[in-house]
Amino acid sequence: MKTGYRRHEEFVKILKTLIFMAIGVTFLLPLLWMISSSLKTPAEVFQQDFHWLPEVPRWHNYKEVWLDSEVTMARGYLNSIYITFFSIAFKLFFASLAAYAFAKIDFKGRGVIFMIFLSTMMIPTEVTLIPRFMLFKELGLYNSRWAIILPNWFAPGAVFMLRQFYMGLPNDLMEAAKIDGAGHPRIFAQILLPLTKAALVSQCVLSFVSCWNEYMAPLVFLVKKNLYTVAQVVQWTMMDEAARTDLTMAASTCAIIPVVIIFMLCQRYFVEGIATSGVKG
Amino acid sequence: MIPMKKPVNRVKRKENLAGWAFIAPTMIAFLILTALPFFIALFLSFAQVSYFKGWDTLKIVGFQNFIDIFQDKNFVTSLGNTFVYVVTIVPLSIILSLVFAYCMNGRIYGKKFLRMAFFIPYISSIVAVGTVFKFLFREDGIINNILINLHILSQPIKWAMDPRFSKVPIILLSVWASIGYQLILFTAAMQNVPVSLYEAAKLDGAGSFRQFWSITLPMISPTIFYLLITRTMAVFKIFGSVNVFTMGTAINSNRSVVLEIYTTAFSKYEFGPASAMSMVLFAIIMVVTGINFFGQKKWVHY
Repeated sequence: MKTGYRRHEEFVKILKTLIFMAIGVTFLLPLLWMISSSLKTPAEVFQQDFHWLPEVPRWHNYKEVWLDSEVTMARGYLNSIYITFFSIAFKLFFASLAAYAFAKIDFKGRGVIFMIFLSTMMIPTEVTLIPRFMLFKELGLYNSRWAIILPNWFAPGAVFMLRQFYMGLPNDLMEAAKIDGAGHPRIFAQILLPLTKAALVSQCVLSFVSCWNEYMAPLVFLVKKNLYTVAQVVQWTMMDEAARTDLTMAASTCAIIPVVIIFMLCQRYFVEGIATSGVKG
Repeated sequence: MIPMKKPVNRVKRKENLAGWAFIAPTMIAFLILTALPFFIALFLSFAQVSYFKGWDTLKIVGFQNFIDIFQDKNFVTSLGNTFVYVVTIVPLSIILSLVFAYCMNGRIYGKKFLRMAFFIPYISSIVAVGTVFKFLFREDGIINNILINLHILSQPIKWAMDPRFSKVPIILLSVWASIGYQLILFTAAMQNVPVSLYEAAKLDGAGSFRQFWSITLPMISPTIFYLLITRTMAVFKIFGSVNVFTMGTAINSNRSVVLEIYTTAFSKYEFGPASAMSMVLFAIIMVVTGINFFGQKKWVHY
């Protein structure tokens, strides 16, 4: 009786696995097609009789995208890394400071300011983009990577999430330090900040993905080709007169590889970051 | 009492100073990069200016921009298109990810691989995956080939040119790219449902479907509602995939509101009308937020 039931359960499990493996592989097919096409000749990409593997893999396509074209992926990587690094470093530092203040310092206007910050999350960035364009043009930040970096420094979402984290840290830690004469800067930097490492890593990986993939702001502010980000290089390769589909797919593959690597390394942090920022109780 | 008061006040003042100092960087960024631009945008939506001729061309036009954009066929069409995107992408992606999460939450092999397969599209650059989908849906592309070989189609569909089909690739791309994210939230919510509820239901003879309908669904309704709201807001702002697909085409049956704002502002440099369009978008987002605020208590079971 019991073994029959077990066998039935095992059967359901295998059936479910097979169905979902098929769905999972289907989900990856567009990306596999991308990689396969990136190693083909332009003629092979849209050949009517389709093969997953090219006759001779053309690794040369990647060299062309990285180094030889008018707008190189090497430059795109440099620009995107620059933008991502300075965006995240300051964003997390400023957000940590604010989160600590909102959670642990009893100052005048705390509640009101926090509510204002939260309600700005409703304002679409598209609304503030046009005035920011005028402002940055006046300030000489048009065609500057800082036009992309600076707006990332106001991050109400990160402030909110980190504040939750700081509120969960016990006050006794602070009280003891206060008795020893430590002020807020020391309590923050030496006692509480190190305890938020897990939340910071979560925020860091999520911010990395959003900065690396940022699209509209670079389109508006970075017009010079040597400032193009990775996303713009992909677009340029597609819209270039040569319109080489094989090169476009090589560029797309290059754009996706870093986030996939980060995901493989930090899977847990992605899941935790999304789960804690998304679940409201 | 007077000498007592002084140190208390000093402590209070020190706390205030510390608090303001800690939020200062965020505050400055907020004032310069969000608050100020927001009010300028609000002002611009009631004004017109020839940007390259200088600020003396600026004049206040009242509600004229709003009247103009609602008579502009391109904008009205883009608004309609965006509504179509919302009512297709949001339900499709939520239902699919809900079913996936429920099945994957139970006994199944290869959870790690599956999570990766669903999640990679979500973190991938929208331009990169947009170009991939654009190529897959070319007239001589692989999707048409497959559909013809399966005898579903007799001749290839012009996905990029035909107004009847031009939204389909964008909808599929958006659903494909958002499932991984929703899957994580649903899985987290389902893991919080007490196992004892399922055990009780099993004793009462409830089957798998009944358990899903009567236990899982009500217990995770806050997450469903949260995703409904946030995904609706996100799809109202759809841009990247639409921009990639419309590049090099001349139709407007798949253009979105944000793409219209973007071209009005940065191709035509009509900042007044573009700001008015962005205020319409803001109003829509506010309405959705309002629904969130008032609807939560009514429809969500805690």
